[in-house]
Amino acid sequence: MTKVLLIEDDSETAEEITAELADRGFEVEWSASGIEGLDKARSSRPDAMIVDRLLPGMDGLTVIEALRKEQVRTPVLVLSALGAVDDRVRGLRMGGDDYLTKPFALVELVARIEALLRRPAESRETTLRVGPLELDLIERTAKRGDRVIDLLPREFRLLEYMMQRSDQLLTRAMLLEEVWNYKFVPATNLVDVHMGRLRHKVDGPDESPMIHNVRGAGFILRTGL
Amino acid sequence: MGQEHIIRSNTFRWALVVAGVFAVFVVVLFGFIYWQTDQYLIARSDKMIESELNFIVGLPGEHRLDAIKDHLKQDSRGVQYAGLFSADGRKIAGNLERFPPDLQMDGSVRSISVERALPAGSETHVIRAIARHMANGDALVIGREVDEAREISHVVGQALALGLLPGLCLCLLAGAWLSIRAQKRVEEVNQRVQRIVAGDLRERLPHRDVDEPFSKLAAIVNGMLDEMEAMIHALAGVGNDIAHDLRTPLTRARLALERGRSNATTLEQLQIVVDRAIANIDQSLAIITGLLRLAEIENSRRTAAFGAVSLHEMLQEVRDIYEPIAENKDIDLQVGVQQHLSVRGDRDLLFEAIANLVDNAIKFTPEGGRVSVELARGNNETIVRISDTGPGINDQEREAVLRRFYRSDKIRSTPGVGLGLNLVAAIVKLHGFRLAIHPGPGGRLEIICPDHRSG
Repeated sequence: MTKVLLIEDDSETAEEITAELADRGFEVEWSASGIEGLDKARSSRPDAMIVDRLLPGMDGLTVIEALRKEQVRTPVLVLSALGAVDDRVRGLRMGGDDYLTKPFALVELVARIEALLRRPAESRETTLRVGPLELDLIERTAKRGDRVIDLLPREFRLLEYMMQRSDQLLTRAMLLEEVWNYKFVPATNLVDVHMGRLRHKVDGPDESPMIHNVRGAGFILRTGL
Repeated sequence: MGQEHIIRSNTFRWALVVAGVFAVFVVVLFGFIYWQTDQYLIARSDKMIESELNFIVGLPGEHRLDAIKDHLKQDSRGVQYAGLFSADGRKIAGNLERFPPDLQMDGSVRSISVERALPAGSETHVIRAIARHMANGDALVIGREVDEAREISHVVGQALALGLLPGLCLCLLAGAWLSIRAQKRVEEVNQRVQRIVAGDLRERLPHRDVDEPFSKLAAIVNGMLDEMEAMIHALAGVGNDIAHDLRTPLTRARLALERGRSNATTLEQLQIVVDRAIANIDQSLAIITGLLRLAEIENSRRTAAFGAVSLHEMLQEVRDIYEPIAENKDIDLQVGVQQHLSVRGDRDLLFEAIANLVDNAIKFTPEGGRVSVELARGNNETIVRISDTGPGINDQEREAVLRRFYRSDKIRSTPGVGLGLNLVAAIVKLHGFRLAIHPGPGGRLEIICPDHRSG
C-alpha cells in the first residue's frame, strides 16, 4: 500500500485529507508539527509527503530542506495559504516537487499526489504510445491507428503531456501550469476550449473516446476501454 | 509638568546659555566703558596739571608762592598737590613735605605715591604728578589725585548691578516661559495625536496664525491627516464592496444548502445542491484570490527580476491560446505584429495583463464581432493596443472600471469577478507603463511602454 506522510497543523484539514486519501487506497500518517513530521519521515520512509508551509516549531520548508540534505528524494507536495508567485517559486526551489495553494479542492490534492507518485521517468524514447495513439516527438507527428492527426504546436504539447500521464486525472490547474505555463487562473475556461478541440481531433466520430472529462475535476486520457 | 522638566528642556538650556553669553558681554562692555572713562579722566587731569605747572613756572619769582597757596586753597576736595623745593631739596612752599623720590625731574606726568601731611599724621596717596626745574634752580612739583576714577568704578558697578541682574533674570524667565509654552503645545499636540491614534480621525492639530513655525507644521500635518482620512474612507468603501461581493455567492451557497438539507430526498438531489454550493463558495474564493493577487502586485517593489520581454512572441502566444476561444464565439481575433519589439519587464505579469485584456475583449464583444491586438511604435514608446467591436468604455465609466468590483450595467450578466482591469492597472503601474482607455464606439485599450532612457 502506498504510504503518504501528512504534516499539517490544522487537525480539521488533516482529518479531511486523511479520510479522502484513505478512500483512495492510501495509507496516511499524520504529524501536527514540523519536528515530529521530520522524525516520522526519517523513520517510516513514506512514498510521498504532503507538507504544510506554516507549521509550529519548524517551518515546512525547513523540514523539506533537512530531508533533501539527507538525500531523501521522497516527492513532496507543499501546501500553503501563501499564494504569492514568489512563495511558490521559493517552495519549489527548497525541494518541494509541487505546490498547492489553500484553499484547494480535495480532487486537486489527490490528482497531484498521484501525479507525483507516478511521475514519468526520464526516457530516451522518441515515440510515445498510448493504446492506438502514437506521438513522434522528433517528427512532431501524431497518429491514431493509421489516421494521421494534424495538431497545432500547443495541441501537440497538450497531447504529449497527457500521453506521458495516461490513466491519470489531470486537473485544469495542473494543465494550465504545465502546458500553458500560466502563473494565474484565467477568467475564461481556456483548458476546456483547447481540450474540446484536441478531443475532436483525437477521438473521431466512429472511434471510442480516449479523452474523458471528469466532471468538476479535469481530464483523463484512457489507454483502453 | 515638574520643575526638573523645565530645567531639562532644551529651550530652557538654550535660554541659560544665551543668558550666560549676555552676562559676559555686558561685563566686558562695562569694563571697557570704565577703562575708557578712566583713561580720559587721567588724560584730562594730566593736561590740567601741566597747564598749572606751566602757569606757575611762567610767573615772576615773587608771585609763585602766592600762586601755589591760591592753588591749594581753591581745592575744596583736597586732591591738589604742590611743592616748591630749593635746589638742595628743602621745602619752600606747598603741601608736599619732601620731593617725591619716584618723580623724575623735567619728565612727563606720571603716577607716584606720596605722603600727605594731615593734622593727625600722614597718609599715602597715589597721584599723578610732574616736576620741573626752574631758572633759579628751585624745583616745582604739581600733582593731582584722580579720585574720579574710584567714583566712576562705583557708578559702573552700580549700573552693572542694576542692569545685569534684572537682565539675567529676564533671560531666565523668558527661557522658562518659552520652554513651558513649547511643552504645553507639544502636550496639546500629543493629546490630539493620541485621540487620532485611538481612532478619532476627524481630530486635527491646533494652529493659530500661519506665520509661526509651530502652526505651519501643524497645518502641514493637518493636510496630511485630511488626505489620510479621505484614503481611509475610500478603503472602507472598498471593504464594503468586498463584503458585498463576497456575501452574494455565500448567501446563495447557504440558501442552497439549507433548502437541500430539508428538501432533497435522494442522494442525487443532494449532490446537485452541494455542487451548486461548492460553485458559489469557489466564486467567493476566486474573489479572495483575486484580491490577494492584486495586493501582491500593488505592494511589489521588486523590479530586480525584470528582463527583456519580447512582445511579438508574447502576442503570438496570446493568439495561440485565445484563437479557439474567439472562434467558439464566432469572433475574429486578429493579431497584427509588424516588427519585433521588446520591453523591460516581468514576462509572466505582462502576459497576465495582456491575456486579461484579450480575455475581456472577447468576453464583452458580441458574436460575429472582431478583436484585434496590435503591437506598434509610438513616439519613443511601444504600444500594445487591444481593440474590439464590443460596447467599449464611455467617459463616465473610464474612472469606474479601474475601481474594484466595478461591472458595467451593460455587462452585469457576464460572469467574472470584476477585478481584471485592476490587476492590469496594477501590473502596468508596477512596470512604469501607462494604461490608456479610449472612449467608444468599440473598446480600445492601450498599454503604453515608454522606452528606457538608459537604453
